[in-house]
Amino acid sequence: MIAQLTKNERQVALLILLALAVVGIAMAAGGRHDPFGAHGALVLLAAIVGSFAVISGYYAPEPPESRLDSYYDDPSKAGIILAMIWAVIAMFVGDWVAWLLVNPNLTFDAGWASFGRLRPVHTSGVIFGFGGNALIATSYYVMQRTSRARMPDQLTPWFVLLGYNLFCVIAATGYLMGVTQSKEYAEPEWYADIWLVIVWVAYFVLYLRTLARRKEPHIYVANWYYLAFILVVAMLHIVNNLAVPISWGSAKSYSLFSGVQDAMTEWWYGHNAVAFFLTSGFLGMLYYYMPKRAGRPIYSYRMSIISFWGITFFYMWAGSHHLHYTALPQWVQSLGMTFSVMLLIPSWVSAGNALMTLNGAWHKVRDDAVLRFMMVAAVFYGLTTFEGSFMAIRPVNSLSHYTDWTVGHVHAGALGWVAMITFGAIYASVPWLWKREAMYSARLVEAHFWLAVGGTVIYVFAMWNSGIIQGLMWRTYNESGTLAYSFVDSLVAMHPYYIARAVGGLFFLLGAVIGLYNIWMTIRTAPQAAPETAADRPVLAGGAVLQAGE
Amino acid sequence: MFGFHYRLERKTIGLVLAIIGVASIGGIVEIAPLFTIHQTVEDAPDMRVYTPLELAGRNIYIREGCYACHSQMIRTLRDEVERYGPYSLAVESKYDHPMLWGSKRTGPDLARLGNKYSDEWHVAHLNNPRDVVPESIMPAYAWLSRTELRTDDLSDHLKAQRTVGVPYTDDMIVNAAADAYGQAAPDSPQAEGVVKRYGKATAVRAFDSRPGELTEMDALVAYLQILGRLTDAAHKPVASAEK
Amino acid sequence: MGKEERDPHTGYLTTGHEWNGIIELNTPVPRIIYFFLGAAFLFSLVYWVLMPTWPIGTTYTKGLLGSDQRAYVDNTIKQAALERADWTAQIEKESYADIQKNPALMNVVRETGRTLFGDNCAACHGRDAHGAKGFPNLTTQSWLWGGTPEAIAETIRVGINSAHPETRSSQMLAFGKDGMLPSADIDKVVAFVRSLSNPAAKDLPADKVAAGKMLFATNCASCHGEDAKGNPEVGAPNLTDPYWIYGGDAQSIETTVWGGRQGHMPTWESRLSTLDRKILALYLVDLRKPNP
Ligand code: HEC
Ligand code: HEC
Ligand code: HEC
Ligand code: HEM
Ligand code: HEM
Ligand SMILES: [Ca+2]
Ligand SMILES: [Ca+2]
Ligand SMILES: [Cu+2]
Repeated sequence: MIAQLTKNERQVALLILLALAVVGIAMAAGGRHDPFGAHGALVLLAAIVGSFAVISGYYAPEPPESRLDSYYDDPSKAGIILAMIWAVIAMFVGDWVAWLLVNPNLTFDAGWASFGRLRPVHTSGVIFGFGGNALIATSYYVMQRTSRARMPDQLTPWFVLLGYNLFCVIAATGYLMGVTQSKEYAEPEWYADIWLVIVWVAYFVLYLRTLARRKEPHIYVANWYYLAFILVVAMLHIVNNLAVPISWGSAKSYSLFSGVQDAMTEWWYGHNAVAFFLTSGFLGMLYYYMPKRAGRPIYSYRMSIISFWGITFFYMWAGSHHLHYTALPQWVQSLGMTFSVMLLIPSWVSAGNALMTLNGAWHKVRDDAVLRFMMVAAVFYGLTTFEGSFMAIRPVNSLSHYTDWTVGHVHAGALGWVAMITFGAIYASVPWLWKREAMYSARLVEAHFWLAVGGTVIYVFAMWNSGIIQGLMWRTYNESGTLAYSFVDSLVAMHPYYIARAVGGLFFLLGAVIGLYNIWMTIRTAPQAAPETAADRPVLAGGAVLQAGE
Repeated sequence: MFGFHYRLERKTIGLVLAIIGVASIGGIVEIAPLFTIHQTVEDAPDMRVYTPLELAGRNIYIREGCYACHSQMIRTLRDEVERYGPYSLAVESKYDHPMLWGSKRTGPDLARLGNKYSDEWHVAHLNNPRDVVPESIMPAYAWLSRTELRTDDLSDHLKAQRTVGVPYTDDMIVNAAADAYGQAAPDSPQAEGVVKRYGKATAVRAFDSRPGELTEMDALVAYLQILGRLTDAAHKPVASAEK
Repeated sequence: MGKEERDPHTGYLTTGHEWNGIIELNTPVPRIIYFFLGAAFLFSLVYWVLMPTWPIGTTYTKGLLGSDQRAYVDNTIKQAALERADWTAQIEKESYADIQKNPALMNVVRETGRTLFGDNCAACHGRDAHGAKGFPNLTTQSWLWGGTPEAIAETIRVGINSAHPETRSSQMLAFGKDGMLPSADIDKVVAFVRSLSNPAAKDLPADKVAAGKMLFATNCASCHGEDAKGNPEVGAPNLTDPYWIYGGDAQSIETTVWGGRQGHMPTWESRLSTLDRKILALYLVDLRKPNP
């Protein structure tokens, strides 16, 4: 990896690591009596390990000029492996917390092992660790190829990828130590938030610089989505995380906003984390890998435009559907509900466009589990968005809110859509990236597919059942006109569904483990000297240039 | 429209600006007026701030992730009001940085928990919920009783709270650590100051039944016992939505 | 690049662009999409006109329906109370004895009381009201403060050792901790107390029990009574029955006598209505075992 960096880049890398080490030392010293200090030590450790890596390769010969006529894929490879590792860890934790709701005594009298601390390890682990790494890895892959241009340098992609993973590790270890801002999906404390801003700006600049070198005048749809993901997540992240630390030597901070304004800001963020992290970015993935794998053109360019701008515009208004009937003024709830309903149309246009793209390739869907992953993902995307718009209607939400129905909806989206499209994209890119003919075992891909589908269906059905039963029990009145069930009655009724969910989750986790094994074995097989076509390479400076107008 | 887009999608910066523009509108329209429309947060002259001990307890509540299972927001629905009490008002979380309304009720809502149960019950329940509620699936938090409460940085906490808008006085900030100790040690000299600074209604008790030691259990129970009681506004007929 | 082609499968033209082998069809947007977009917008428009929706400076549009979620729920609750009025009025005005004789009303009490108890009391006394260590069983004939529905209702209203100004207050003294009895005497009195509910116990030598009996008469009888059957005036429990708040084994009794006890039952006056408290009292009387 270091051998791929130019001398100059190696120097810059060392400087960055040095700066990081200084920050780590300062944090460790300033936060001696606080988890902040532990994170300082972690940062320092990361800087030291990084420095060792750079120094050990420092005197390797510079990479040849010829590197410039191929895409720079090493960061994508690393990102895919990291994504799979995070997937296994975070879903393991997910299943663990699922079992904790079956048997609460699995906490072993240890703070770090209790439900409240592990749950965000799961949610951040899957969304940011698994999802984020997959998005970064595939976005590198896609932006280079759809631009026919190599990334502008070798250092920035590594900075973004590894810096991002440092953020994820700080987040997850922080929760275990009890460091959290408690804002859902934005739990990391102020210093992790600041670090993410730095990484994110580098990511954005990298994207722009690559696009600036593109050889096709039009920017491909996948890149619109990746761009929206990067930009809007930055906006959301910065505003929602505004906070005042209690001191420079403490992990603790207090959110700038309070009460109702804080609630609205949090769900403006939280809902659009769903929209721009878990939807927009993954639609970018879908827009590249699905037509590529199916060998079919995108069904409709015009539908792409409608859905892209519809999603970008409508989603941003919908966050208040997380606050129906609360102390948030009703007018905001009205806006959230109506925009959520309108949002269904562009969402379904996306799903429809994806499924219509498969027209003429359905025989491939039948035979190819990788394409089938993507197809199922599009179906679940449609299903989840329909369900979401339905749940955003006030009377429906009065039943579903606070219950497991929400959790069912989340995992229909998370397992059925986010994870499935990611597995599809990863299975498609691994042989391409490592220049292998195919995955190590097609049968294992097939096994993964069925475990994933089975697990999702069990999970989601269990939660629909428990959620609706729960919601109904809370509001059922007996003949005298008083409440029929106490809260604990509803708790007891959940038990069988919690077991079913944990079993479904176990299936899904097993599939991911098989996937990781399969990828690992694929990498270990001998490379195939596959004939490279010109299309697999960037167009060099001399080649076809950006055509002005048309 | 498609023609316009056909040109837009060739310009990276144009696309970037368009995305930012289109994506900003919703948030601005929905969030900014929450600061300008006065009725958004009701008036509550009797509202008091959290004592340092309660604030420390709140931070433990956050640290342990209690909000992952418990909401603190009673919605305007008949069954919720009949089960939990008056629906929550915006003003009740005016000093909550951040709010802890929650999004999931694996356990019951806690917005009106204060004074519902005894301190002894809370201690027993937190030590092992199944000792008192056999059906419970809530984790045991036995280490809270074993862990001494950290008070040396409480002044910093209050100061940061003041920076974000909670009206703590200099007196409160300076005495934060002593007040935290005093609130859980009724016969100590520090106890008086708590009442002086935070009002006569402040509960000064040995929350974990051990007045000599200030534990995290003291802080958390003190917090749980103040839930819904910073102001009485919700119990008075609310001037519901301006006519 | 830049050349439009016709897709043989669908018959649509491509846009003429190509990215790494991916092309797009220029398929027109199906009408139905515009239709649904319009329909969704129309729905929203109607909703905006009827409901509070758009912020304008320091206020917002109120909507033609004048809907307000708070007024709405206040009304619903009032309405529901009116619908229940046929039986609530009866329970409110009739005496406990009359209600107990009325099977229809008692059915309502059982139905309503179960959830009320489950949401408020079960945390301490258990879903079945059998209690837990430190929290008394409420299904027995043995009552600290009396077992008539009136007495129970009063206990619920003011609580025991609670924050209520009229609270029932009681305290079991800390004979050991406060130095009123030496350990050896505590040992004896504990043996005596155990013998009351468990005369057959093997490890209770007669002389020890007899010495304990003497000690009991001087130290304890003032509260628990000469016969140790308790005293509802001061909330002292009956020590001769098999029900214990804190446990009836030697260790627990010893802890009680050594360190004292002061159970805390919250007041429900400000949390539950008079009606609800009356229902709970009736519910408990109804729950209690007929003949322990
Ligand atoms: C795994 C989910 C979970 C977590 C995490 C959790 N609880 Fe609970 N909690 C429950 C459940 C379920 C109940 C209902 C059963 C019971 O009373 O134990 C409950 C009940 C309670 C009650 C009684 C409420 C009432 O009105 O009866 C309190 C108080 C409480 N929890 C406080 C806390 C605090 C404080 C924390 C964090 C330190 C916490 N809980 C963390 C699940 C949880
Ligand atoms: C915080 C725990 C707690 C809750 C909640 C609670 N109780 Fe109690 N209750 C107690 C304790 C402790 C005692 C015994 C006090 C003592 O030891 O002197 C008690 C005693 C009683 C008694 C007196 C028993 C007797 O023998 O005279 C009644 C009646 C009673 N509770 C009913 C209720 C009802 C009805 C509710 C719900 C509305 C309720 N309790 C809720 C803790 C609780
Ligand atoms: C000042 C009055 C008073 C005196 C004197 C007194 N008790 Fe008590 N005792 C009580 C009260 C009140 C309780 C109930 C405490 C509670 O419920 O928290 C109690 C409870 C008990 C209990 C626990 C019962 C159970 O169900 O767990 C035992 C055992 C007991 N007393 C024994 C004694 C003995 C032995 C003595 C004398 C050495 C004694 N008491 C003297 C008032 C008294
Ligand atoms: C092995 C598979 C998985 C299992 C067993 C699992 C289990 C769980 C459990 C038990 C919870 C807590 C629910 C509660 O509080 O009641 C949860 C929450 C959550 N999970 Fe998963 N999960 C899995 C996979 C995923 C994946 C792949 C994602 C995202 C890509 C995901 C995203 C989330 C989110 C966002 C929440 C929070 C939901 C909310 O707050 O409403 N999960 N999961
Ligand atoms: C049209 C699109 C969608 C709409 C309108 C929508 C709407 C909703 C609604 C109404 C809720 C429940 C809020 C509550 O009652 O607390 C919710 C929760 C959630 N949705 Fe969606 N949803 C959509 C798509 C998706 C997708 C594609 C995902 C992808 C994973 C997703 C992930 C989530 C998550 C994680 C939550 C839980 C938030 C929490 O922690 O409470 N949603 N959504
Ligand atoms: Ca954060
Ligand atoms: Ca949630
Ligand atoms: Cu949402």
